[in-house]
Amino acid sequence: MEPASLPPADPPAEIRHAGFKAGVVLIATAVIAVAFVAYVLYARGVFENTQRLVLMADDGAGVTVGMDLTFSGFPVGRVQKIELAADGKARIEIDVPEVDAKWLRASSVFTLERSIVGGTRLRAFTGNLEDKPLPDGAIREVLRGDATDELPGLIASMKRLLENLERMTAEDSSLNASLAGVKTLTDRMSGPSGALGGILGSEENAKKVITALDRANATLASLEKVSARLDGLIGKADESVFGAGGVMEETRKTVANLNAALSEAREGLRKADAILADAQKISASTREATADLGNLRQEVESSLRRVNSLIDEINRKWPFARDTEVKLP
Amino acid sequence: MQATFPGRAARLILFGAEALAAAVSPSTYTAPARRIAARQVCSSAWQVLPAFMLACAILGALVIRIVDSTARDFGLSGYTLDLYFRVLVLELIPLFVALFVAIRSGAALSTEVALLRAQGELEPHRSGAADPLRGELLPRGIGAAFAVLALTVIGGLVALVVAYVSLYSLSPWGHAAYARAIGHVFAPVVLAGFAMKVAFFAIAVAVIPVAAGLASSRDLRSVPDAAPRGLVGIFVVLALVEAGSLAIKYA
Repeated sequence: MEPASLPPADPPAEIRHAGFKAGVVLIATAVIAVAFVAYVLYARGVFENTQRLVLMADDGAGVTVGMDLTFSGFPVGRVQKIELAADGKARIEIDVPEVDAKWLRASSVFTLERSIVGGTRLRAFTGNLEDKPLPDGAIREVLRGDATDELPGLIASMKRLLENLERMTAEDSSLNASLAGVKTLTDRMSGPSGALGGILGSEENAKKVITALDRANATLASLEKVSARLDGLIGKADESVFGAGGVMEETRKTVANLNAALSEAREGLRKADAILADAQKISASTREATADLGNLRQEVESSLRRVNSLIDEINRKWPFARDTEVKLP
Repeated sequence: MQATFPGRAARLILFGAEALAAAVSPSTYTAPARRIAARQVCSSAWQVLPAFMLACAILGALVIRIVDSTARDFGLSGYTLDLYFRVLVLELIPLFVALFVAIRSGAALSTEVALLRAQGELEPHRSGAADPLRGELLPRGIGAAFAVLALTVIGGLVALVVAYVSLYSLSPWGHAAYARAIGHVFAPVVLAGFAMKVAFFAIAVAVIPVAAGLASSRDLRSVPDAAPRGLVGIFVVLALVEAGSLAIKYA
């Protein structure tokens, strides 16, 4: 089938200065694109001098390249690199612009916080802004402040607490029983016997206690009388012991008689001493007689030594003899 | 007979590669070709620029207001600009621009190619005459691609300015936080991915309508089918590129 022919199309409407307009659009596009790339580089801190800060964290989860390090809510640094260090910790390298480095000091503390809503935050705290500046390439430990890490423990504690509360408030719980007991006690205490009836459990017991108290009072009264009599008795005893012609005066006389008897005894002993001196002289003449006894003893000892050597001789020749000891008489 | 889907896809890729090779070849840019490309840039970008910038400003103001108030409600106002840049500037505006140019220029381009094919203008035996594919259609495709690039860049700039003015009005004191958010979101990898995505969008908007027109039969009655086929093709490719970009970025 022959294709149908169409009438020639009208030439498209000519746009005035189309080349110029298109050139303007394209040049504007190129300029905007280049300027934007330059602005992004400026915004990323490519053109500013920075110093390096290294933070060591136990867990680097949530930390991303490009995230901010903030000080008092203002960004003062940007994470450039995260890697696992040789000791297994997360090593976070941060570039801090030199203009913002004044906020970080040698004593600054760094925290890594994970909140329940929102991302992880790296924060710096400087207590003393007069401290030494943080040196370039400083390595600091980062403290963790993690709200979500505490949640499981918190929930477990809450659960235990609620279980305890449930047990305490159950129908047959000890607390309920105690409260019931307290109610019974207060009911009894509001009775005619008052608190005593409540404590002792019944009216009868309370009456018994009151009777016992009355008896105790009567006993105390009679005891008072007894003590008054005892006072009189003690006064009389004092008179008989320490009074004129009492026990103490008689005792003093007896002691004087005893002193005289002791003087007589001392005289008797002096006489016995003279007798003993005579006896000493008798014993001196006896010692001279015992000098001959010494010679006799030496002879006996020499004979014994000889017998001893003879026994040794026999023992040498008689090998089976075991006991070589010689017992002196 | 209609070609199967893999066959059409293979032909599309082949045609796209040829068009790209021609687009980067200096010999393509003859004076008439430049004139046609300029006319295409004007009709796709220049003529709609005020309305487009206004639309971008309104969209940006709406989105920043919604994102900011929601983020404040949840105590996450520090993430307002991050979210805005990621959603509007990096994703929505390029997609919006690509669809806009595809509907404004792509549909017409598909229909014209289908008409040329129906009239036999694209037959090989007529190669003695000026090749309409290289002389007329390629510059128009290049112009459409440049329009996508230009509108994306300008729309993005408008959205950035609107975000700053909405959050900080004209005060200079918001600049530090604003610059930090830009530096945080537009990392070099993200910026490179964004540029590649926009380039793919531009190529898709330039190539697919022509390929859809060329895929029509020589029957005049098939001409009206070329435009919707080209648009559907563009939508599918844009969706695939966007999905791939998101998957690479966030997966």
